[in-house]
Amino acid sequence: MTTKNMSNRREFLRKASMGSLGLLLLSRNAGAIAANDKVVVAHIGLGSMGNSHLRWFAGLPDVRIAALCDLDEQRLGRAMDSLKEIHPDTRAKAYTDFRRILEREDIDAITCATPDHWHAPIANLAFQAGKDVYGEKPLSYTPVEGRAMLGNLNRYERVFQLGTQIHAGENYHRVVELVRSGRLGKIHTARIWKTGGPPALGFPANRTPPESLNWDMWLGPAPYAEYTPARCHGTFRYFFDYSGGVFGDFWCHIADIVFWALEPGRLLSIDARGEVPHNSIADTPLWIDIDYEFEDLKIHWTTTPPQVPGAADRQIGACFEGTKGSLLCDYSSCEVTLDGEKLADIPDVPKTLPRSPGHQRNFIDSVKSRTQPESNLEYVRRMTLPMHLGLISFRLGRKLVWDDTAERFVGDNAANYLLSRPYRAPWIFS
Amino acid sequence: MRKSLIFALLTLAATAVASSAADERGFVSIFNGHDLAGWNTGACPDGFRVEDGCLVTGGGDGGPGLLCTAAAYGNFVFRFEYLLSGVGNSGVMIRADADEQLAWAKGYEIQLLAPWTPHRDDLHCTGSIYGHVAVTNRPDETTGVWHEMEIVCDRQLIIIAVDGKVTTWAEMNYVKSLRSKSLRGPLGLQTNHSGPDQWVKFRNLRLRELDREPDYVVKGFSSTDPRVRKLTHEAALKLDTLLAGQLCALLAEEDSVSSVGAKKALFDIVAAASAPAAPAPVRSSVIKTLQAQAAETESEIVRHHLEWLLGMLEN
Repeated sequence: MTTKNMSNRREFLRKASMGSLGLLLLSRNAGAIAANDKVVVAHIGLGSMGNSHLRWFAGLPDVRIAALCDLDEQRLGRAMDSLKEIHPDTRAKAYTDFRRILEREDIDAITCATPDHWHAPIANLAFQAGKDVYGEKPLSYTPVEGRAMLGNLNRYERVFQLGTQIHAGENYHRVVELVRSGRLGKIHTARIWKTGGPPALGFPANRTPPESLNWDMWLGPAPYAEYTPARCHGTFRYFFDYSGGVFGDFWCHIADIVFWALEPGRLLSIDARGEVPHNSIADTPLWIDIDYEFEDLKIHWTTTPPQVPGAADRQIGACFEGTKGSLLCDYSSCEVTLDGEKLADIPDVPKTLPRSPGHQRNFIDSVKSRTQPESNLEYVRRMTLPMHLGLISFRLGRKLVWDDTAERFVGDNAANYLLSRPYRAPWIFS
Repeated sequence: MRKSLIFALLTLAATAVASSAADERGFVSIFNGHDLAGWNTGACPDGFRVEDGCLVTGGGDGGPGLLCTAAAYGNFVFRFEYLLSGVGNSGVMIRADADEQLAWAKGYEIQLLAPWTPHRDDLHCTGSIYGHVAVTNRPDETTGVWHEMEIVCDRQLIIIAVDGKVTTWAEMNYVKSLRSKSLRGPLGLQTNHSGPDQWVKFRNLRLRELDREPDYVVKGFSSTDPRVRKLTHEAALKLDTLLAGQLCALLAEEDSVSSVGAKKALFDIVAAASAPAAPAPVRSSVIKTLQAQAAETESEIVRHHLEWLLGMLEN
């Protein structure tokens, strides 16, 4: 995209944000990037997932990576080295504060692979700054943040894709076609699982953070805590202060297939059981089982594979139980059981869904065409919400009743309190 | 190193027993002298009967069997008197199970035995942890007279005393065969199993449950043993309002071993008090404790955390 187009688009955005008519026009006519123009991308958060983002987007011919950002200078340096290996002539700049990237007018889109508690603040600020976002899972740290993200996405007419890369694969497309074909009858129950809990982190002593790491910024809106390496890179997700453990990490990958195939109706109640670990400083579930009651479906999450054939061999999976048959799947495989017979496929079910050109490709195409991508925010927010509600039920140790229209728990103030978390100053929820 | 530790433990054990021998504070009777209320008779329908205020087993209706308490106990001091007939044979299962098969897998037996022929060694005599830990001081095994036994279960530490003298101590982690044994379960009295004409009597059974004492429970958070921590967590939740203040204070500990355990337990106590059906006095007591601790603490991190927890209760 040329600088001129860029500034025109931003100018339009400023005007458009004053009235809804302008916003409608924007989505149809204005701001689209010509098919042959390069989309200018910045990567924020450069741990292992952020480095995957870098490699994926560096491989797209119509993407130019203009900036890299991490608040750990060592990680930032290593990522810049990786980028230079792929594109020796890169002019990408390195930043330790993501806000310096949001200030840059030339950047069209950011990717975000920070710890969970930073997902929503960065996305919301990026939307305000007129950037599109490819954001890592989970969508947000709290449900209220997710709702704010959707509001901001619409307000600023942005494009968002959640990093549920499995969504783009052939297997999930085929499972959706098979489940929706009706050959399994009415699906009344879905079981989803992921094995594993926090690793043995022990009880390490607090330390002074390394010079290269901005620990206060890493904590950001989360409560202040003294530094110990286990709370930070690689294992932060085993702390409720920043994440939701294995469950929160994998929910959206495997719940995705259930929500995509079945589009469940109103959620009515959530009942979680489980245990926190006692062998370390980690506090996310050692195991967690949750019963979700939707108006038209029951979803059961378990940490151990359910008692259905084939499940025990899979560390993660989904099982659809219908009145005429069942289907067991994971990221890359699928087994249908019809009349007691096991099938790899039902060949006469037609392929009706358009296939994905690739998850990152799809995002860049959407940035150009101003359409919402396959893992769009409205869909993934709906799909992610029960994960958050399950964790709240787990933490409170009780069954919760949910008002799906108001997006509030019924008759439980503490549960509603946990739908959000106050931000630590100077960060402000927006 | 190891020697000195063992010496320290022995000293501790001896002190504990000596100082507590005359002290009956905190003890509650677990046998009423009239019937088997509070006992699970399912596993032992015929093995025991009540006679003259005593629990009696044997004298014609012996055989294998276990009379278990209905309640489970983790950490406790158990005192009782026993009297064996000429060659009586019984024992006390600790941290056992109402199911006799499971009781042996999970629990362990403190032996009560006549010094019969053939001679039984120190690993199988009265006061031993039968087959696991031998007595270091063999007790008086005279039959036909009443003896008093004290069993202390202090997390991984087991101390047995007979007639006021320590016979046996064991740190469970040092004993390979005890390492995976249960840390909580019902107490079980064995039926007499040495012959139909032999019998055993028990009386004055009383128990001090350490898991009901806040000062004891809170110390469990300084253990790194996951099983001890889990039981400490569970005991803390039962004490809720009695322990909330001490847990708040522990949050400020620099040592994560204690502060993390306290943080988890405090959250669960607040969560339970926040339930719509929670008793109002519990809720207001937890609120008052958190408010007082938030005002008092010198740690800004702790104050913020307590204020956040208060939000769950005050909304």
